Amino acid sequence: MVLGELGQRITASFRRLNQAPIIDDDLLDEVLKEIAAALLHADVNVRYVSELRSNVKKRVLLESDASGVNKRKLIQKAVVEELVRLVSTDRKPYKLEKGKCNIIMFVGLQGSGKTTTCTKYAHHYNRKGWKTALVCADTFRAGAFDQLKQNASKVRIPFYGDYNETDPVKIAEEGVELFKKEKYDLIIVDTSGRHKQEAALFDEMQQVAEVVAPNDIIFIMDSHIGQACFDQAKAFREVVDIGSVIITKLDGHAKGGGALSAVSATNSPIIFLGTGEHFDEFQPFDAQSFVSRLLGMGDLKGLFQT
Amino acid sequence: LFKSLTRGVKNITGGAVLTEEDLEPILKKFKTELMTRNVAAEVADKLSESVRRSLVGKTTGRFTSMASTVKQALKESMETLLTPKKSIDVLRAALAAKNAGRVYTIVFLGVNGVGKSTNLAKVAYYLKHKGGLDVLICACDTFRAGAVEQLKTHSRCLDVPLFERGYGKDPAEIAKNAIAHAKSNGHDVVLVDTAGRMQDNEPLMRALAKLVAINSPDLVLFVGEALVGNDAIDQVTKFNRSLVDLSADPRNPRGIDGMLLTKYDTVDDKVGAALSMVYVTGQPVVFVGTGQKYTHLRKMQAKEVVKTLLG
Ligand SMILES: Nc1nc2c(ncn2[C@@H]2O[C@H](COP(=O)(O)OP(=O)(O)OP(=O)(O)O)[C@@H](O)[C@H]2O)c(=O)[nH]1
Ligand SMILES: Nc1nc2c(ncn2[C@@H]2O[C@H](COP(=O)(O)OP(=O)(O)OP(=O)(O)O)[C@@H](O)[C@H]2O)c(=O)[nH]1
Ligand SMILES: [Mg+2]
Ligand SMILES: [Mg+2]
Repeated sequence: MVLGELGQRITASFRRLNQAPIIDDDLLDEVLKEIAAALLHADVNVRYVSELRSNVKKRVLLESDASGVNKRKLIQKAVVEELVRLVSTDRKPYKLEKGKCNIIMFVGLQGSGKTTTCTKYAHHYNRKGWKTALVCADTFRAGAFDQLKQNASKVRIPFYGDYNETDPVKIAEEGVELFKKEKYDLIIVDTSGRHKQEAALFDEMQQVAEVVAPNDIIFIMDSHIGQACFDQAKAFREVVDIGSVIITKLDGHAKGGGALSAVSATNSPIIFLGTGEHFDEFQPFDAQSFVSRLLGMGDLKGLFQT
Repeated sequence: LFKSLTRGVKNITGGAVLTEEDLEPILKKFKTELMTRNVAAEVADKLSESVRRSLVGKTTGRFTSMASTVKQALKESMETLLTPKKSIDVLRAALAAKNAGRVYTIVFLGVNGVGKSTNLAKVAYYLKHKGGLDVLICACDTFRAGAVEQLKTHSRCLDVPLFERGYGKDPAEIAKNAIAHAKSNGHDVVLVDTAGRMQDNEPLMRALAKLVAINSPDLVLFVGEALVGNDAIDQVTKFNRSLVDLSADPRNPRGIDGMLLTKYDTVDDKVGAALSMVYVTGQPVVFVGTGQKYTHLRKMQAKEVVKTLLG
């Protein structure tokens, strides 16, 4: 289970709540402190943790006084809802349309897993019968085209790139044009890694986005990231229209909570998780079922209905 | 950080004895600020604990406020932490090996995508241009697509030879052959690139430990990125332990010797990963990677890191 350690720690706090004969403010504070520590330990953005803590507390004080409902359940419900809120947004992800030409661009920090993940993504849809192609618009990283080429060949997906061209904008344009003409359903554009401190790299991303005119831009975030996630994700979002997030490398002992702040920084939902170096190590993401599995709670709806 | 930290204690004048109660709120805030700057939770805890211990019961100087006393204590403990007990001068060590007629070998290891191959290329550039050394790059990532071609490109740009055997072969064997090749062909330094792996992936960790055990390199460099959060601790601990547990000579176990901290240019003032890694291993940061060009490699200044953290 990804983020297993976080799940265990929160579950332990819930158990403590369940076992306590009475739940007074001291216990509430203590439990919230434990949960906050668990979240911080999992790299969740420091600001969100303190927000979450005060939101839960506010709700519990307010609602339990008024209605006298079961405090235990109320606390758990508030925590779960805050966690769901952390990993979700109201904005719906772009929905691919079969039979139409869907152009998807991948962006992210250096080494976050873009090239690997765009192959997984292509493979995922290819297996479902989509006519899929990959374009390598990374002319910067040494060996980038070979990497994409070898990946694409392994999963038998057509690709476009050029060893001699140094302008990623040109390659992106040509590649997309080519596959459009050949009536591909899904054209995926891989780009170089970049970071907000280098303006030239962000300009380049904007230019690629302009010529490619993607239906969706997916932001790829490495789950190992700590507190720098929010600023980077936000900066990407300010330059291009990110619509979805994929979090990678969750097969490690990754804490993973830092990466979750990409959701609110980009106001975009997580659509997949990467859980290994192999191309089938890739899972669709749903916020509610993620949190319920995280806390080993089965169906969350039961908790919400009361 | 200090402005907000010390706001609450400005009113206390010099000559006061510091109590737990005085320090509690400052240290709590201090801890949060450290975590905001990406210091791992555990390390932030331990640091503030040690500052607390050193300050409780102390009298602040006649003309110094409590604020500046705390500040000084924090600064000192962090600087001490970041100032290595042993320092590693790679260039000097490599030159000494050359004079002694030995080939100097460095192995680069770490989790996926942190910058091992790129920073290996930067080290090759540094040793070649700063030390006039004859460097051989060895491609032991035989797994990831494009890994060999990536090094081929660097080898061409740097005009440094590459030893490679393609994909799918045993990396430990390739490294062994590369070192032998370097010896018989008069190369001074061998830089061994390895595949990225997660620290909990046992078979892969075992294979890495075997590579190190068989080849006993002069330097084992753990490559970690400045972006990493709390996982930094787990990474360095487990890479180190895997190597130690599978050392060739159990009486003389061999772990990681130092660290290379990459992507330092991507984190602004959130430079806490440096502190976390050094705290856990007690090993020095040998190089810092500050960009994607060959010249983007430098040594770490403890004072500068502390200044950024407390700035
Ligand atoms: N364990 C694991 N490794 C992954 C996962 N996704 C990617 N990787 C590895 O992470 C490393 C970097 O992946 P890339 O796909 O090259 O990353 P990138 O974002 O394209 O990198 P740049 O183009 O240099 O910015 C490679 O070693 C991948 O095999 C994952 O989900 N789990
Ligand atoms: N901004 C910045 N990017 C860096 C730095 N060092 C490496 N990178 C980039 O990070 C990405 C990954 O670098 P690699 O050298 O391929 O990483 P790796 O650890 O060898 O990756 P795997 O072999 O796949 O595990 C590339 O896009 C590099 O250009 C650095 O100091 N700063
Ligand atoms: Mg790439
Ligand atoms: Mg590499």
